[in-house]
Amino acid sequence: MADFQTSTQRAKWIFTPQKLAERYKAANQRAVQILEKCGTTRVEVDASGSLTYPKEKVDAGDRADKKLKPLNVEEERFMRAFYEDKVQDVCSAFKFPHKIQATALQYFKRFYLQWSVMQHHPKEIMLTCVYAACKIEENHVSAEEIGRGINQDHLIILKYEMAVLQSLEFDLIVYAPYRAIEGFVNNMEEFLQVRDDEMLKLENLLKAATAEADIVMLTDAPLLFPPGQLALACLRIANGALGVIDFDRYLEKIVSQPNSEHTISELTELLDNIEYMIKNYKKPSEKDMKHINRKLKSCLGHSSSHDESKKREKRSKHKSHKSSSDTPNSAPIG
Amino acid sequence: MVMADLGKLNVEEPPPIWGSRSVDCFEKLEQIGEGTYGQVYMAKEIKTGEIVALKKIRMDNEREGFPITAIREIKILKKLHHENVIQLKEIVTSPGRDRDDQGKPDNNKYKGGIYMVFDYMDHDLTGLADRPGLRFTVPQIKCYMKQLLTGLHYCHVNQVLHRDIKGSNLLIDNEGNLKLADFGLARSFSHDHAGNLTNRVITLWYRPPELLLGATKYGPAIDMWSVGCIFAELLHAKPILPGKNEHEQLNKIFELCGSPDENIWPGVSKMPWYNNFKPARPLKRRVREFFRHFDRHALELLEKMLVLDPSQRISAKDALDAEYFWTDPLPCDPKSLPTYESSHEFQTKKKRQQQRQNEEAAKRQKLQHPQQQHSRLPPLQHGGQSHAAPHWPAGPNHPNNNALPQVPAGPSHHFYGNGKPRGPPAPNRYPPSGNQSGGYNQNRGGYSSGSYPPQGRGAPYVAGPRRPSGGGAYGVGPPNYTQGGQYGGSGSSGRGQNPMGGNRNQQYGWQQ
Repeated sequence: MADFQTSTQRAKWIFTPQKLAERYKAANQRAVQILEKCGTTRVEVDASGSLTYPKEKVDAGDRADKKLKPLNVEEERFMRAFYEDKVQDVCSAFKFPHKIQATALQYFKRFYLQWSVMQHHPKEIMLTCVYAACKIEENHVSAEEIGRGINQDHLIILKYEMAVLQSLEFDLIVYAPYRAIEGFVNNMEEFLQVRDDEMLKLENLLKAATAEADIVMLTDAPLLFPPGQLALACLRIANGALGVIDFDRYLEKIVSQPNSEHTISELTELLDNIEYMIKNYKKPSEKDMKHINRKLKSCLGHSSSHDESKKREKRSKHKSHKSSSDTPNSAPIG
Repeated sequence: MVMADLGKLNVEEPPPIWGSRSVDCFEKLEQIGEGTYGQVYMAKEIKTGEIVALKKIRMDNEREGFPITAIREIKILKKLHHENVIQLKEIVTSPGRDRDDQGKPDNNKYKGGIYMVFDYMDHDLTGLADRPGLRFTVPQIKCYMKQLLTGLHYCHVNQVLHRDIKGSNLLIDNEGNLKLADFGLARSFSHDHAGNLTNRVITLWYRPPELLLGATKYGPAIDMWSVGCIFAELLHAKPILPGKNEHEQLNKIFELCGSPDENIWPGVSKMPWYNNFKPARPLKRRVREFFRHFDRHALELLEKMLVLDPSQRISAKDALDAEYFWTDPLPCDPKSLPTYESSHEFQTKKKRQQQRQNEEAAKRQKLQHPQQQHSRLPPLQHGGQSHAAPHWPAGPNHPNNNALPQVPAGPSHHFYGNGKPRGPPAPNRYPPSGNQSGGYNQNRGGYSSGSYPPQGRGAPYVAGPRRPSGGGAYGVGPPNYTQGGQYGGSGSSGRGQNPMGGNRNQQYGWQQ
């Protein structure tokens, strides 16, 4: 049976906290080095997924030499968190089913395990992830529609699609906590042997847990824990407020099952960790972002600011394809 | 801040850690076929010497980026791991962009290639069956059928509908293993699926009545109908329901299986196209009569597969329990099957094809109404393994029409440029693949018509009528029955009706 147990998510995309920190550090370091060497970090991408890395600075006396400050790991985290939140905004604006934002968020997270935000602007990647998630979850919306809906150029979405899919190593099936939450709630029905008038309580529990899951998706937890554990943590938080079931007893029942991988104390500890991440999640404010944004802008360089390429695209469709990919290569700025 | 030339720095500064290797890790040996949406090559992994099949994903003319069908195929294949399902080994990409003819890169058209890497398989079932003089033995047929059902059962358990089961999508290696391939039309289903699915799937001859009657909610039973058609075809030594268009297809089905009514198929009268297609007078079921030469257990199983009402059709799981597989002669061990000369000799095939084109073109000009002929022999009833003289090493069933057909465009032999090489004199045994791939290009509602030169895919149709919402010139839409006749008995329209015509056109619309 193909399920989470046999999934690429389990095999490849769940990390220990140390490993995850290393990945972020390494992605950041690569960009920092490129910035030092090249004076910019932006990696150009074309629709076929081909990458163009910045070239080394030719003469050091150039004005490009002015000291550019790279983002640090923490600032990168902020940047990602800010745009992850935007993923949910976009998805709710389109009234997409829940799993789409969850899939898009996982894609976004995985993408930035390979790359620094200094190399690919998270705004563009975010949109592409939403677009790709719609495709994978069979909820297709045209790139144009997404672009129109949020006033962004849809060609950028298409331009990054290949790069995103490749960075995901084409591991497209992702598991989110939502279905697991539903599964557990169904299971609780049996566990409690609920009467009809108690069904409403479980429905409320489901709703509240789903809201917690929306938050957990914005943290690093999906890269650290399997969806079932995320689901249980969300349910436990929700149940803490609603008091629908005796959660400890329910957990005991779960770990007493023959295929359980954990003891009750292990599971409780895991859930505590997830809960900690949920409770400590803080949405970055625009104000937090201001400074970081400025830094990011200078790292990415002016050579291919989107406004510029957008103008070109408007001028002529065909020309723009050419120019947006060629100009940065051939025309030195400065 | 000068940016590097494309590709240059890619080498000096290899991309960090990301997954896809370059297609340069493989040496392309030859083209061996044409999948639903791209060419297939035989290739050798340079490092290991392993022979693989590379399936290129065509991406030009895609307004919506990476094709949804490719996404589905990748998604599904990554999920499925079974010995009777082709394994997707990895995805490789071709670095840099190919340039178009003018040497200009076009940013919105994918030119760099994406390839799926599969185990190389020597044959496909149709190619093997079509070898003149070759007879499958009964244990051999049981062996293939069992593997087919096992693989399909696994798909269904994992909530995947294949939606294009037919002989040429059943690959067979020289160890007798059969694997389901080409998941280009497959998709996941769930029992609570609220959305509608497209009924423009499955190659016409293998398409079940519910799809032909317009069903948009369906399940694994659709694949089981196709299995029934293949089963009967193996025993009967020729396709059993070679309709030329949807109407004729349904008629053939009704002539064989009887006409449906509310008694045998509750709800049939409410099917979307029931009234358009219902036969003038009731027809009797004649499966037993038609196939009276089949053995008892085979017939019994076939009867359960070719059931009109999908809800009463046998499942893959139950079919595996059928007496047929548990009575003598038992299915043989795949390893005991004879090995056949590999079928993928592109060069010889090409030559042969060229030769055939000429012959057929000449023949066609004489014969206005060529008959369908089939050179297959019925199965051997007793053990003994047949070793066919491969004087016509059956072409790999993958058509290779990546080039424009060279045949002069007479009215009735458009296809010969595309036809798969098969045992003479029935090259039209399967509708040519041009359609299949052509459907891809064609049906963009005019999108591809003007702006891109025909690329050899489906080229014969370019001049045909365009139906922006149907299958373009393919007559995919139910009310369009004009195609079949036009091509004589070539059977070509069978393929012409192939799924993606309409489906691809509307792939982002309601049809899923």
